[in-house]
Amino acid sequence: MNKVVVSFLGRDCPGIVHAVASLMNELDCNIDEVSQTILHSEFAAIVIADVPDSLTVETLHAKLEAGLAERKVDLNVTTRLLDGSGWGDAITTEPFVVTVDGPDRPGLIAGITGVFARHNVNIENLKALMPGGDKDGHALIVYEVALPASVDPALLRAELREEADRLAVRVSMQHRDIFEAVHRVQPV
Amino acid sequence: MLTDREVLSTLAMLRNEHLDVRTVTLGVSLFDCASDNFDTFADKVRTKIGKYAEKLVATCDEVGDKYGIPVVNKRISVSPMGVVCASFSPEQMVKACQVLDESAKAAGVNFLGGFGALVEKGMTRGDRALIDALPEALAVTDCVCSSINVASSRSGINMDAVALMGETIKAIANRTADRDGLGCAKLVVFANIPQDVPFMAGAYLGVGEPEVVINVGVSGPGVVKKAIDRAMERNPNRTLSDIAEVIKRTAFKVTRVGEIIGTEVAARLGLPFGVADLSLAPTPEVGDSVGEIFQSMGLSSIGAPGSTAVLAMLNDAVKKGGAFASSHVGGLSGAFIPVSEDSSIAAAAASGALTLEKLEAMTSVCSVGLDMVAIPGDTSAATISGIIADEMAIGMINSKTTAVRIIPVPGKGVGDLVSFGGLLGEARIMPVPGGNAENFIRLGGRIPAPIHSLKN
Repeated sequence: MNKVVVSFLGRDCPGIVHAVASLMNELDCNIDEVSQTILHSEFAAIVIADVPDSLTVETLHAKLEAGLAERKVDLNVTTRLLDGSGWGDAITTEPFVVTVDGPDRPGLIAGITGVFARHNVNIENLKALMPGGDKDGHALIVYEVALPASVDPALLRAELREEADRLAVRVSMQHRDIFEAVHRVQPV
Repeated sequence: MLTDREVLSTLAMLRNEHLDVRTVTLGVSLFDCASDNFDTFADKVRTKIGKYAEKLVATCDEVGDKYGIPVVNKRISVSPMGVVCASFSPEQMVKACQVLDESAKAAGVNFLGGFGALVEKGMTRGDRALIDALPEALAVTDCVCSSINVASSRSGINMDAVALMGETIKAIANRTADRDGLGCAKLVVFANIPQDVPFMAGAYLGVGEPEVVINVGVSGPGVVKKAIDRAMERNPNRTLSDIAEVIKRTAFKVTRVGEIIGTEVAARLGLPFGVADLSLAPTPEVGDSVGEIFQSMGLSSIGAPGSTAVLAMLNDAVKKGGAFASSHVGGLSGAFIPVSEDSSIAAAAASGALTLEKLEAMTSVCSVGLDMVAIPGDTSAATISGIIADEMAIGMINSKTTAVRIIPVPGKGVGDLVSFGGLLGEARIMPVPGGNAENFIRLGGRIPAPIHSLKN
């Protein structure tokens, strides 16, 4: 059995997930994990599945595209083998939450993520809650990040502040435990 | 993954509502430093406090930085010095206080508590020497705080000590007359003092405590006020039951933050974690006030009729929320109502809406008691003792902690402004009720402990 990662992107409508899942079932692919979301009217899903050794990635890709077209589901498909290794497997990290808020403007995400990239900080979740969505054009962007133990939080925070000042927005950085502790009734 | 609401509400607490950990207090037992040779004692104290407090401030800052939540005050509490220094004369007690002051400054903490005595049942020679040393000791030191426990529900009220504390408070005020009697702001007279208080000026490390311990004092009056305001904004028809629930949940959140930071500081220092004190402690900053909570709950100001009821509810809700959030709760755990340290309470006192009598009534349902109250400098020692005795009686009968931190400001009278600076704030001098307690105080002796089988 090989593991593949397949992503689907396209206009949202009822029946998309069924189309994808039933197609994969017909191809003897066992879905391990799925993450699916909708942004405005766009559907996006990323699927990790076990595929039979007899099925190559290229064949799987072709059959998925053909099957979706047959079902009249307009999705772009990307397929590749999962090699199993990931960033951070060998290093210790601490989970932090960084929020940025202020007037929306181009380059907001690029600027802040540039600081993360320089420090080798990995973004695990990114959500822009209201980028330009409200009438004042106020953006709120939440990053859940993994901070390697080698990164000095104070230094990172200072650089984030500097970048936020340049972008005329506010930034805050807290350990994820604080959010868990305050909102969830479970030991932290 | 965190939800949007979790992120947004925590961010609001941190950013707009003055959420911080108010104090991390390192308790250090000094019993093993006792010696009848002063130099030996001083060396041992310097070495021991130095050893354990060396990394306290840096560690608190590191942990505060990690969580993005500042630990505002780092403090030290020590064993009651009346016991540790039992063999010293008053002059040596002053020097001992200076040693503590130097140690506190070397550690970089802003206060050290424990230069005190427990005399609810009687006074030893050491306790007496310490009390006699207080006027000089509190004048020549900056960081040291003192607490004297003169009453308990089990032992009654030591009225000899109450009389002595009235005289002592006057003497401290006069000795620090150039600073508006500031020395009195560093002294608290207690009934039923808990042995693990992290908040100043009452902090000390009790006899049943470990060798070294980290206690944490959470706070957050601003967070509670804003939570009530938000709830009322969303639905103006909220009842007091709803508001109690809001306070309870908010206290839970605030305490969890304190607990997580306190336990991590303790772990990094390799010390045991003691207790979280759930008190709501105000600062003179606007938006960080206990008094403003009264306004949010519909009163014109603290001191208006209804204030005692509001305070009782606030205190209880804070305890309920906090008790679930922390494994070990201790200290005073309630709402402080220090007059000068809270801009809104100071304003109510200045306008006459809040009187000393109403403050006393409110102390029957809150922690701690008459706190940071400036009174005219010509108030007699017997009157101060009378005020202390009343407050001690409330604590004794109700099996709760009560305390008096009162400042007779030399050379100033009712309505004059007195400013103590920094966290101690400023206030107008409040009038003291008339009448004379002199003959009552002169009787001395001990008011017997109450019987609790006929509770009423």
